[in-house]
Amino acid sequence: MKTIPPPCPEPVSGIKYWRSLDDLAQAPEFRQWVEKEFPQGVGEDGDAVSRRHFMKIMSASFLLAGFGLSGCRRPVEKILPFSKMPEGYVHGVAQYYATAMPTRGTAIPLVVKSHEGRPTKIEGNPEHPDSNGGTDTFAQASILGLYDPDRAQRFAKDGNNVTREAALDFLTATAQRFAGNGGAGLAFLLERSSSPSRVRLQAELARKFPSARWHVHEPVDFDVHQAAASALAGVAAEPYYKLDQAKVILSLDCDFIGAEQDRCRFIRDFARGRRVNKPGDAMNRLYAVEGLMTLTGINADHRLRVPTSQVLAVAAAVAAQIAPDNAAVTALAGRFPLPAGVKPEWIAECAKDLLSQKGASVVLAGYRQPAAVHVLANVLNAALQNVGKTVSYHAPASAVASALPLVELARSLNAGQVDTLVVLGGNPVLNAPADLDWATTQRKAKTVVRLGYYEDETFAASNWHLPAAHYLESWGDARTSDGTLVPVQPLIEPLFGGLTELEVLARLGGLPANRSHDIARETFRGAVGADNFEDKWKKFLHDGYLAGSAAKPLTLAAFTPDRAGAAFTAAAPLPAPGKDNLEVVFHRDYKMDDGRWTNNGWLQELPDPITKIVWDGVVLVSRKTAEELGLRSAQQTEREHGVVDVVEIELNGRKIKGPAWIQPGLADYTVGLSLGYGRKRDVKGGTGRVGHGAGMYNAYALRTSGAEHIAAGAKVRKTGESVTVASTQEHGSMEGRPIIREANAEQFKAHPKFAKNMDLESHTEHLIMDPKTGMPKMIYEHPYEGYDKRKGQSGKDLSQQVFKSDTHQWGMSIDLNGCVGCSACVVACQSENNIPIVGKDQVSRNREMHWLRIDRYYSGAREKHHNEHVDDPQTVVMPMTCQHCENAPCESVCPVNATVHDEEGLNVMAYNRCVGTRYCSNNCPYKVRRFNFFDFTKRPLGELYKSPVTSFNEGEWEVLRWWKDPEKSSRPEDEWELLKLARNPDVSVRMRGVMEKCTFCVQRIETAKISQKVKAGASGDVRVPEGTFKTACQQACPAEAIVFGNLLDPDSRVSQLKKQERDYSVLGFLDTRPRLTYLARVRNPNPKMPDFREVPLNIKEYWDQQLGEPYAEHAAHSHDAPAHGEKKGAH
Amino acid sequence: MATQQLIKSVPSIPHTPKELERQPLVLNGRGIGWLSDHIAGVAEGRTPKWWWTAFVPSFLIMLVCFSMVLYLMSTGVGVWGLMIPVAWAWDITNFVFWIGIGHAGTLISAILFLLRQRWRTSINRAAEAMTIFAVICAMVFPLIHIGRIWLGWWLLPLPNANSIWPQFRSPLLWDVFAVSTYFTVSLLFWYMGLIPDLAVMRDRAKSKIRQMLYGLGALGWTGSNRHWSNYEKAYLLLAGLSTPLVLSVHSIVSFDFAVSQVPGWHTTIFPPYFVAGAIFSGFGMVLTLMIPLRSICHLEEVITTRHVELMCKVILATGSMVGYAYGMEFFIAWYGGNPYELYAFKNRAFGPYWWAYWTMVTCNVVSPQLFWFKWCRTKMWFVFVVSIFVNIGMWFERFVIIATSLHRDYMPSNWAYFQPTWVDIWQFVGTFGLFMTLFLLFIRFLPVIAISEVKGVTPQADPHHPLGGAKTGGHH
Repeated sequence: MKTIPPPCPEPVSGIKYWRSLDDLAQAPEFRQWVEKEFPQGVGEDGDAVSRRHFMKIMSASFLLAGFGLSGCRRPVEKILPFSKMPEGYVHGVAQYYATAMPTRGTAIPLVVKSHEGRPTKIEGNPEHPDSNGGTDTFAQASILGLYDPDRAQRFAKDGNNVTREAALDFLTATAQRFAGNGGAGLAFLLERSSSPSRVRLQAELARKFPSARWHVHEPVDFDVHQAAASALAGVAAEPYYKLDQAKVILSLDCDFIGAEQDRCRFIRDFARGRRVNKPGDAMNRLYAVEGLMTLTGINADHRLRVPTSQVLAVAAAVAAQIAPDNAAVTALAGRFPLPAGVKPEWIAECAKDLLSQKGASVVLAGYRQPAAVHVLANVLNAALQNVGKTVSYHAPASAVASALPLVELARSLNAGQVDTLVVLGGNPVLNAPADLDWATTQRKAKTVVRLGYYEDETFAASNWHLPAAHYLESWGDARTSDGTLVPVQPLIEPLFGGLTELEVLARLGGLPANRSHDIARETFRGAVGADNFEDKWKKFLHDGYLAGSAAKPLTLAAFTPDRAGAAFTAAAPLPAPGKDNLEVVFHRDYKMDDGRWTNNGWLQELPDPITKIVWDGVVLVSRKTAEELGLRSAQQTEREHGVVDVVEIELNGRKIKGPAWIQPGLADYTVGLSLGYGRKRDVKGGTGRVGHGAGMYNAYALRTSGAEHIAAGAKVRKTGESVTVASTQEHGSMEGRPIIREANAEQFKAHPKFAKNMDLESHTEHLIMDPKTGMPKMIYEHPYEGYDKRKGQSGKDLSQQVFKSDTHQWGMSIDLNGCVGCSACVVACQSENNIPIVGKDQVSRNREMHWLRIDRYYSGAREKHHNEHVDDPQTVVMPMTCQHCENAPCESVCPVNATVHDEEGLNVMAYNRCVGTRYCSNNCPYKVRRFNFFDFTKRPLGELYKSPVTSFNEGEWEVLRWWKDPEKSSRPEDEWELLKLARNPDVSVRMRGVMEKCTFCVQRIETAKISQKVKAGASGDVRVPEGTFKTACQQACPAEAIVFGNLLDPDSRVSQLKKQERDYSVLGFLDTRPRLTYLARVRNPNPKMPDFREVPLNIKEYWDQQLGEPYAEHAAHSHDAPAHGEKKGAH
Repeated sequence: MATQQLIKSVPSIPHTPKELERQPLVLNGRGIGWLSDHIAGVAEGRTPKWWWTAFVPSFLIMLVCFSMVLYLMSTGVGVWGLMIPVAWAWDITNFVFWIGIGHAGTLISAILFLLRQRWRTSINRAAEAMTIFAVICAMVFPLIHIGRIWLGWWLLPLPNANSIWPQFRSPLLWDVFAVSTYFTVSLLFWYMGLIPDLAVMRDRAKSKIRQMLYGLGALGWTGSNRHWSNYEKAYLLLAGLSTPLVLSVHSIVSFDFAVSQVPGWHTTIFPPYFVAGAIFSGFGMVLTLMIPLRSICHLEEVITTRHVELMCKVILATGSMVGYAYGMEFFIAWYGGNPYELYAFKNRAFGPYWWAYWTMVTCNVVSPQLFWFKWCRTKMWFVFVVSIFVNIGMWFERFVIIATSLHRDYMPSNWAYFQPTWVDIWQFVGTFGLFMTLFLLFIRFLPVIAISEVKGVTPQADPHHPLGGAKTGGHH
C-alpha cells in the first residue's frame, strides 16, 4: 500500500487566491475582525512567543479535560481549531525542545519530544559540548513524574486547601514582614542546585535579609568532591575527570558508573576508553576497591573486596607506594595498616600500573568515603601528573556560598531562633538523620513554608504547602558538570499551577520580577550582556546550551602537604567489621536515589542493575555473613521463588527489619542498605499510590548524623520470618553457556576469532552452504521469497527478482565491551513504547513486561562448587531484547500469522491479529516476548485478580461500565487521564491477551522513512541516511554500546561493527540468524596482579561444557584445551 | 442312545483340549435375551441411588469448571500460574492428558475391529463414549488458554475480506484440524454403532417420550438384512477411516512440541511415543471406569476377568514402549552431543522438578510391569489401583514434558519455577466433573455395552452351535 506522505510545506508560488477584497488588502480592520472572530489567543500570529501561547491553550484544554477540576467527572474536551498554524507545526508530528534536567549539583542537557503540546519522551541533547545524547535512568523516568497523579496539586495551609492567590499573598506578606528586621528569624532549607539564577536570587535575598540563615541538605551529597578539592587547593575548586583520556583508573569506592553525580558522562568516557575495534587496540584498565557490589565494581578488571570503611587504608597504602616522599601520606599509611586479607602485591602492582601511565591515569574517590580519601585521590592525581590531563579543576557550578548543614538548622530550631522556615524542595522529614528527629524539630519553627512536589512526610510537618512545578513545566537554568550554561525550558504550562523554586525565592524577596521566565532571562542577560539579547536568548533556547560557557580550568598552586595533612589527621579509623560488629553501608539506590523516585512506577519496576530486584530494598549481606547468621542460601531462594529471611538490624539502639539478600561480591560483615524504601505507608502524606508499600525497611531510621554513609557496630539477627522478594532474574549463572563471550585482551590478540569459535555453530560446517549467500541452504522456501515471487508473477521481470527490500535492511549491534549495565535503555524503551508496569506480585510471577532487559550473570559463583571464587565472582551484563531473527522461530509457530517478517528484516507483531496462544514465546530461544496476562494498562495493579463480573466501580457494574464505554479504565479517573498523557501516540497500547516485544522502534523507522520520502520527492532517493534517527535504547545509551542502522549501507556504523572479529550471534547454532548481534567482551587484566586470571571465569565454565574451543588455532597454554580440540573433530 | 453311539463311532473330530479352549466372552452361557434385558436394564427403570450419589457431585464440580472458565475469560489468563518462560503449563498438560485418554475408545472400536479382536465388543461402547467426553474436556483447554478467547475462531480457515488465513506452518493449526476431525469421526462412529441398540431401547421403551426419542435416534432401524448389510459396510468403512486418526491425532499433538526448538521438545521420537502413551493412558482410563461399572451394574458376565486381563496386557505393552521412549530420550540427548538438550534431560530427572519426573517414571514404567504377573492382572482392586497410577503417571508425563522443558531452556537468565494457582487446580478438577457428568448421563440413558455386537460374539449367535440360531431362546 502506498504510504501517504505528510503534508510538506512548500514555498508559495503561482497564483494566489483571496477570500475577499479585504483579505487581499490585508486591511487592518479586516485583521482585527479576524482576531475577534476566533477565541482569544488563537489568532495571535506575529507574536514572538506564539508557541508558548499554543502550549498554554493546549494545557488549558487538558485542564478542562477533567483532572484540574475536582467534582467534574466527565471530561469536557474542547477542540480549538487553529485559524493559522503555528510555524512549522503539523498535527501529529512531534516537536522537540531543548531543556535540561537539574540534578543536585549539575544538570543533564535534554531534548524533549512533544506531541500536541504534551511532552512524551526525554532524550539527551547530543549537541551539547559535553554530552553524546546519552541519559540516565532518572532522566528517562522523570517524564512519568510529570504525569504523576499523586503529585501535590493544591496550595494548602495546615492541610486545608487555600487559593493560589492566598498563598502568594502570604509570601508577599512574609517578605514585607522580614524586610523590617533584616530577615532575623528567617531560615531557608535548600537542595543543591547549579542554577545561576538561584545563585543570583540568593545573593539578592541575602542583601535584603542579611540575618537570614541558609541551609542545604542532601541525604546523598556529592559536595565532598568539591569540599576536599577546595580544602586542598585553598580556593573553591571542583574536580572534573576526563576518563576517556585515562589508561589506568583506580576507583576508591567510587561508583562513577552507577551512583555518582553525572554518571552518564562518566559512562560515556569510560566506554570510549574501552572501545576496541581490532585485536591489540589499547583499552583502559579499571581497578576498583569497594565493599558493596557496584556497577563500577562489576565492570572492573580487578576488583578488591574490602569493607567500605577500610577503603581508606587501601588508598593510603597505594598512595604510599606512589608518593613515598610525601610525609603526610606515609604517616597516614602508617596509621592505617592494610586490612586483613588484602595482598600487598595487589597494592604494589596496582600502584606500579598507575605509575607506568603517568598523565594517563586517574584516581577517583566515591561520595561515601570520608574527606581524607578524597584528599588522597587528589594528591595521587597530582603525584601521577594527571592534573590538566585526566583531571582538571574548575570553579564549582553549584555554590551556596554560605550554606550551613542541616545540623545547624536543627540547633537553631531547637534554640527557638527560627520564626519562619522555608523548605524549598527536599523531604527532610523522611531523610534527615534519625537523631535530629526532624518531624518534631521542624515544628519548632513558628511557620514552615514548604515548596514540595509531593504531599509527603514533610507536608504533614509544614504549615504552608506550595505545589512545586516539574522541571518540564519550569523556566530556569543550570550548569552541567563542565560548567556549560543550559536552559531549563518548559514544555507545558504547570499542570497544577505549581511554582518553581525561583518564583518562591523572588516573591519572598519581594523582587519585582517574580515569574521564573523573567528571572531566567534576567540572569542570562547578566551572563551575555544586553547586545543582541533576543537573538542570543533564542539561540540559547534552541541549542539548549550557551556555547563557550564551559568553566575554565583553574591553575592551582601545588597541593601543600600541610593542607592534606590536616585532612588526614582528622580521619578517624573505623574498626574492621567482624561478626558482632557489622558495618552498615547506606547507599544511594540505583532506582530510588534517596527516595525521591518512590512514586515512579518505571523506576520501581526497573530491575536493580546488580540484584535484579524490583519494588524492594533489601539488606545486602555476603555469603559468609549469611552462613554465620543461618540465612537461606541463594540457591534456596531461587528455588523458592525469591522467598528470603527477614533480619533485624540494630544500630545504636535503633532497629529496622528487612529482607536479607545474599549478594556475591559483597564484603564480609558488611550490610548494605538502600535509601528510599519503606516510606510511610499512607498514600496521602506518604509515598503516593505507586510507591505505597514498596520496600520493607526505611534505612533513614538507622542513619544518624556523622555516620551518614558508613556506620560501625551493627548487629543483625534472624527473625524467623520470611518474605518474598521479586526479582527479574532468579538464576545468576550462565551454566557455562557461551551467551556472553569474553576473552582477555591478550587472548583476543592471539585468537581474534574466539567469539565465533564458541558454541555449536563452530561445528555446523556440515550444513549445505549456499555459495551465493555464504549461508546454510534453507530446506524450506523462505517466506520472503514467496512474497516476492508473487510480485514477480504480477508482471515484473523475474530475473530482477528482489527477495527483500533493497533499500533498507535493519540491524543492530551491541558492544558488550561498552555496555556497563546502567539500564538507561530499559527505561527509555519503557517510555518510548508505552510499556506498562505490572507490580511486584506480577514480577515475582515472572510476568514483567520490559521489552529490553539486562541479563546479569555471575561467573565463578556457582553454588554447586563453593569454590574459591564464590565470593569474588566476575560479573557480566548483556542487554537482551528481540533479536529480530531472519529465521524467526516465533513466526513459524503462530497459528494466526500475528508475528511475521517485513521486507526490511524486522520481526513484527500485529497486535490486532494476536489471539495469545503464547506459542511464539515458548519457541523463542531468547525468551524476549512479553505477554499481557492481564489488562495491565487499564486495571489498577492491586486489583488484577478481581473479575469484572463480580466487581463494581463507582457504583456501577464493571462489565456494564466497560460495555458502555470500552475506552474506560478501571483506574481512578485522575490517574487514567494523566496516564494517557504520558503515552507515545505513535505506539499502540496493548490490551490483555496479546503478546508484545521489541519492534526495533518501528515507529521511529517509519517516521524517518516518511520524511525521507518527502524529502526525496522525485529523486527517488528514499534510503534513510545514516544517523537520521536512533532507536530509543540507542538514543539513551551513554556508552554508545547500542548501534542501529541499515545493513545495506556498507558505510553505516552497524555494518562496520558487524564486520568486526568480535561479532557473534547468541545461540547462533540454531540458525535463527539474528539481526541483533553482539560484540564480544574483552577484559584487560594486569598479568602481574595476584588476582589475575588467564582466562575469564566464563570461559573456564564454558570449557566444562565442551562446546567447541574458542582458542582453536592455538591452544597450548590452556590446561585441557587440546582435549577439546580432539572432541571438536568428533562432531 | 443311537445317535450317541453314532457320534462316538465317527472317527473323532479333534476337539480343542479343555485347557486350550478360549474362555467364553460371555460367561455362564448367557443367551441373547438375557443380554438385551440385562444391558438395556441399566438404562431403564428407576434411577438407582448410586447414580444420584455420583451424579450430584459430578454436576457440581462441572459447575466449578464453568465458573473457572468465566473467571478466566473475564479477568485474564494471568489467573493461572503461567508466565514467561513457562507460557504453557497446566492448560496444555490437561489438553494432552484428555486427548490421550480419548485414544483408547477409537483404538478399541476401530483397530481391534479390523484385527478381529472379538473381545472388544464388551467394552467398545463405553470406551468410545469415554473418548468423546474426553475429547470434549480436552477441547476446553486450547480454547480457553488463549489470551483473547473471543477471537479463537481466527484459527479456522474462514474466508475473509482481508485475505488473512491462518498460518499453515503452525502445529497449533494442525491441532485444530486433527482434533476436530477426530472428534467428528469418533462421534459418527459411536453413533453408527449405537443405531441397532437404540432400536432395542426403542422397542423396549414403556413411555411415549422414550419411544419417540430412542426412535429418533434409531433412524427407523428394523433389523432387516438390508439394514444389517449396509450397517456392517458402513461400520467397516468408518473403522478404516478412524484407524489412521488414532495414530494421527496424537502424532500431531506431539508436533506442538516436536516442531518447536525447545530442548526437551525438539525430538523425533515424539509421534510414536505420544501415540503409545495415549493408548496407555486410554486403557488406563477405560479400566478405571469399567471396573467399578461392571460391579455396580452387575455386568461381570459380560465384562469378564478375561477382558480386564487383556486390557492389562495392552497396558503392559504400551507402558513398556513408553518406558523405552523415556530411556531413548536420555540416550539421544547424550549421543546427540547437544549440551542444551542434555541439560534439559538432566534437569528433568535431577532439577527442581525431579519429583514430577520420578512420579511419572514410577507410575508409567514401574507400575505396569506388575502386569507380567497373572495375579496382578486378575485381581480387580489391584488393576483398579494400577489404572489410577497410570492416569496419574500420564498426567505427569505431559507436565514433565511441558513445564520442565520450558522452565529452563536456553537462557539461564529466564529460568523460573512454575507453580499452579488455585484456578489452575480447580479448572482441571472441574473437567473431571464435566467428564463424569457426561459419562453418568451416558450410563443412564444409553446402553453401556454394544448389545448387538456382544450378541454376535456369543456362541448362541452361531447357527451351528448347539445353543445357536433360533432353536433356543436365552434362558433367564
